[in-house]
Amino acid sequence: MSDWSQVTRPVPVPNEWTRPFWEAARRGSLELQRCQSCHSFQHPPYATCVKCVSVDLKFEAVRGVGSIYAYTIMYHTGDRRFAPAVPYASIIVELDDAPGALMAGNLLGAPYTEAKVGRRVEVVFEKLNDDITLPQFKLAASSTATTG
Amino acid sequence: MPKWENRCKIALSGVGYSKVTRSADVPLAAHALEAVRGAVAASGLEMGDIDGLSTYPELPATGHAEVDGISIVSVNCMMAMLKLPNLTWHMQVGSNNIGGAVQQAANALLAGVCKYAVVWRAMHNPKGTYQNLPGAQAAGASQFTGPFGFGGPGQHMAVAYTRYLERHNQAREKMVTLALTQRQHTQHNPHAFFYGTPLTREDYFNARMVAYPFCLYDCDIPVQGAVAVVLTTAERARDLQPKPAYLAGYGQRLHFEVAGRIGSLADYMEGGASSAKLTWERSGFSPKDVDVAQIYDGFSASVIYGLESYGFCKRGEALDFIQGGRIGLDGELPLNTFGGSLGTGRIHGLWHIIEGALQASGRAGARQIKDVNVSFVGASAPIVTGTTFIFTREPY
Repeated sequence: MSDWSQVTRPVPVPNEWTRPFWEAARRGSLELQRCQSCHSFQHPPYATCVKCVSVDLKFEAVRGVGSIYAYTIMYHTGDRRFAPAVPYASIIVELDDAPGALMAGNLLGAPYTEAKVGRRVEVVFEKLNDDITLPQFKLAASSTATTG
Repeated sequence: MPKWENRCKIALSGVGYSKVTRSADVPLAAHALEAVRGAVAASGLEMGDIDGLSTYPELPATGHAEVDGISIVSVNCMMAMLKLPNLTWHMQVGSNNIGGAVQQAANALLAGVCKYAVVWRAMHNPKGTYQNLPGAQAAGASQFTGPFGFGGPGQHMAVAYTRYLERHNQAREKMVTLALTQRQHTQHNPHAFFYGTPLTREDYFNARMVAYPFCLYDCDIPVQGAVAVVLTTAERARDLQPKPAYLAGYGQRLHFEVAGRIGSLADYMEGGASSAKLTWERSGFSPKDVDVAQIYDGFSASVIYGLESYGFCKRGEALDFIQGGRIGLDGELPLNTFGGSLGTGRIHGLWHIIEGALQASGRAGARQIKDVNVSFVGASAPIVTGTTFIFTREPY
């Protein structure tokens, strides 16, 4: 299990496009940007819908369950902030509600060797400070790899 | 699509190299100057003949200051050093990496706004850690990646590679063939950083892991150095010293990417396929016509994405395609015959372009492949900055 206790994560700086995402996360809700024209979700937030170019975009709540789309196990300690946690799993998650919207996170609460493409995960919230809470991921309650 | 009307009207003439060193013993400007002077001299030209300049000056080592002449060498810096009396055109590109700078120079020559253009790529290896990420904050696109320990480009490519390996039921151990073959090729390239340094199967499998699935020998080593080329029209090139390599076609990736959205294997595949399609159509060639290929290998998986997205083999098969001697100097598709970035050190894709041109024109010395007519180059990772080229021996 990676030890995150000595890691000082860089704190996200919200901007005009991303603030609603971080404000929702602070409330313990996962909200992604959704095109009101073609109804597709996208992440990270963007100025326009990357599918249909609409500018009518709103943040909507999604269920925080999905699958590991891809991952890497980090061993290099060049980034001193994260060196105490190596090896650790950085993962990319595709949520069931938002296909194509890829979210980065860490696999928390499980050995890094549990990171596999297709494994089911669910969101957990990691508070960094009073303003910023990170959506993170742990293995889903009934975790089995899918073929998706 | 009909063939490109400017097919084989541009040629790559002389090439030049600086000494490639592990660290910055002299300012980067000195490396760039050495490479540019070498390319001009090798062409049989005087510096006063040069009237076009182009580069892509970006510093890939994040978190270090861009200081002109020290950590980057801009067009302005080169103008200050060379004081070219006949300069008529210059262009510094911000996208498409160094392949974009070569393409811009070709376009300028075709437009008739210069006659002899020099393109260089100078790469700096800063003191201390390469990716210098001490920040307490993650702003911009990194707010969605930095907090989770995604730092340099190696991790970004590593996530797509796990997707690749597990979805295609492939094994990272097969990559040892690429690493060993390219290191063997490096032993015929005296300019390369790892010239004289062999690599064994044991070295590869005992190497420390950097970002799984990448071990140390899946990553090119950061170095300080520069390479340069002279481009001119095919007509003028025939009057110069070296045998010209003719530019039969080029392409750029057309697939767009969303900043901060990482890990998508499709971004690599669609990027590479879109660039290659333009190159095959413009040149009139197809993968089966290619006699030798250089495919960018800043990280080893980039070659795998390239081989598949450019059309040399089917999706999911590249790690098998590279086995059995196929990519060796006497193989069916000799690959990265100069050693690639894994052998030369991190100089980005201009060295791949140089080798593509040298092989096409019979100038590759001890590593020359016999009877090369069609020489392919993928000059950077197929994602974001991807460009592709075909050079030919004759102006077919």
